[in-house]
Amino acid sequence: MTADRDAREAETVCIVVAAPPEPDATAGTLAALRRLGHDVRIERAHDAERCLARVAETGADLVVVDGALGDDAARVLAALREPGPPVLVVTRDAAADAALETFRAGAADCVSAGEDFEDVLPAVALEHIRAWRATRERERLRRDARALRVTLENLVEAMESGLLVLDADARVLHANPAAERILGEPQGALRGRPIADWLAPGAAGLSGLARALQAGERVRGAEAVVVRSDGRYVPVGLSLAPLDAGGQRHGAVAIFQDLSELKQLQRQVLQSEKMASIGQLAAGVAHEINNPMGFVHANLFQLEEYLADLRRLLEAAAGLAERVAREGAPELQAAASEWCALAEKLDGEFLLEDSAKAIRESLEGAERVRHIVQDLRAFAHRDDGEWVMADLNRCLDSTAHIVWTMMKHSVVLRKEYAPLPPVRCLPLQLEQVFMNLLVNAYQAIEQRVAERGGAGEIVLRTEADASCVRVSVIDDGVGIPPDHLHRIFDPFFTTKEVGVGTGLGLSTSFDIVRRHGGTIRAQGRPGGGTIFEVELPLSAPAPASTS
Amino acid sequence: MSADPDPPTLLLVDDEERILSALRRSLRREGWRILTTSDPHEAVRWLEHEPIGAVVSDHKMRGMSGLELLEAAARLRPEAVRFLITGWPDAIPADRLAALGLRALIPKPWEDATLKALLREALQR
Repeated sequence: MTADRDAREAETVCIVVAAPPEPDATAGTLAALRRLGHDVRIERAHDAERCLARVAETGADLVVVDGALGDDAARVLAALREPGPPVLVVTRDAAADAALETFRAGAADCVSAGEDFEDVLPAVALEHIRAWRATRERERLRRDARALRVTLENLVEAMESGLLVLDADARVLHANPAAERILGEPQGALRGRPIADWLAPGAAGLSGLARALQAGERVRGAEAVVVRSDGRYVPVGLSLAPLDAGGQRHGAVAIFQDLSELKQLQRQVLQSEKMASIGQLAAGVAHEINNPMGFVHANLFQLEEYLADLRRLLEAAAGLAERVAREGAPELQAAASEWCALAEKLDGEFLLEDSAKAIRESLEGAERVRHIVQDLRAFAHRDDGEWVMADLNRCLDSTAHIVWTMMKHSVVLRKEYAPLPPVRCLPLQLEQVFMNLLVNAYQAIEQRVAERGGAGEIVLRTEADASCVRVSVIDDGVGIPPDHLHRIFDPFFTTKEVGVGTGLGLSTSFDIVRRHGGTIRAQGRPGGGTIFEVELPLSAPAPASTS
Repeated sequence: MSADPDPPTLLLVDDEERILSALRRSLRREGWRILTTSDPHEAVRWLEHEPIGAVVSDHKMRGMSGLELLEAAARLRPEAVRFLITGWPDAIPADRLAALGLRALIPKPWEDATLKALLREALQR
């Protein structure tokens, strides 16, 4: 609509003429104005109200007021002062001229209706129309520029992505609220600081930034890690574009998005895929192992019985041989002695005892395999989507059993279980948490043993009070440096000290515990090692909040 | 061991021969007539013609599943007590298991004492 009006205005000049109704009075004025050309539209009015109404309707470029209107002329001038279109006053006699002085200040010009009027009026009118149009154009441009600026500012303020304008030294010239939020800084705190303050050393983004600044290259969607001043690691997708002006490099614009949630989702998907394939594998393995374990177990059991019979048989034979050696016919005595010598040489007693021991130990091994397979199967077939009331002692114990075989050579496991009320939870997920904590504890002990020797101990402790249950996994391993303790649950905090591959485990554990409305904490153990505490409320969150 | 002139007949079916021989060892002294086969189709033929008192079958076998075999047993010789022995009970649909009228589901590996007790009870006359 505005554009239409602009276009119309560009073609047609509109003039409002305010004069008394008598035709004679305005004939000269109208004739003079018509000399401006065909594309001049002239609107007439006989008093101030109608004049002002016409001006408002048409967006007039010029108003010509006849001095003969007297007070009405004055009102028109007063109303159109400053923002309005220029007003020309046509004066007719000396007496009026004097009166004009009072309102001359508001008029753009005065033209006397005397000689040369028909030449002077168009020339003066044209001059003012041009000046007015130029003024209006300038204002329009200023307004547009201001609107554009506001739009741009709103956009930058409102955008979800962080935006930094950097100077040639990679210092922040401007930062939007999202940038401050992602980098964890208060408003205005970013200005003047080098961007390297937040980018993890050696991160892809940093060298990309240096390249962008030095060589004028673009970086699109590089993944980088931001280290906030509170120590949190935030993964970001970073794009950089150099800012050039007149062939000179002035810095760069950095746009970045917080990828934490995305990464979190990716990790969850990955994790659940991993769990699903572990589940399938476990079920298949359980079946394949159970078949041979079936006959190994049964045969060992049978062998134990056979051996008991063989022992009786052998003891009877020994008795017989001794008796024959003593009392039998001479030729039989020799054979019996030979048998006794053979029995002594082969250590028949030892053979029997040790066979029994070997069978017993093998049965024990078979029993253990059976238990592991059972646990694996339970692990694989637990429905992780369902909230159930479960005994955390059992969850913890079955998890401990699965990892126990791995660690039993270097670790003593002490169980200090208190009776626990059932907790509404996702057992498989909690078992995953316990598994992570146990594996962490084991790795910490392994590391300490490798460095300083000795044996290790893991304490599994459960406690309950009126409002919550607490599961603690306590190790005497290498320990976590105090300045790392509050960062170990961060998804992207990985150091050699924490151990490759466990950083994600802890952050997943953190998420799972949080989903249960609980907390997970780590603290140093007096005398070395680490205490992990998982606390779950007895009133679990509504399942709806878990999806 | 007094030899029963007409001992009860037990049928053991598993496509793993070593399971069959281990089971035979376990039950050797029970005095029963024990038929074993790794071919479920042969088991079906025996169910038709032999006075079988109890049948113990594996589930996952080539050619015929233990479920199918025991369903055939229920049809051909309803008086034979039916057992399924398997290392993978999760794989069996619960509704079919319920419809089968099993005496028991025996896990692999099995406890010798439990197995004997179950079969003695099934074969006593």
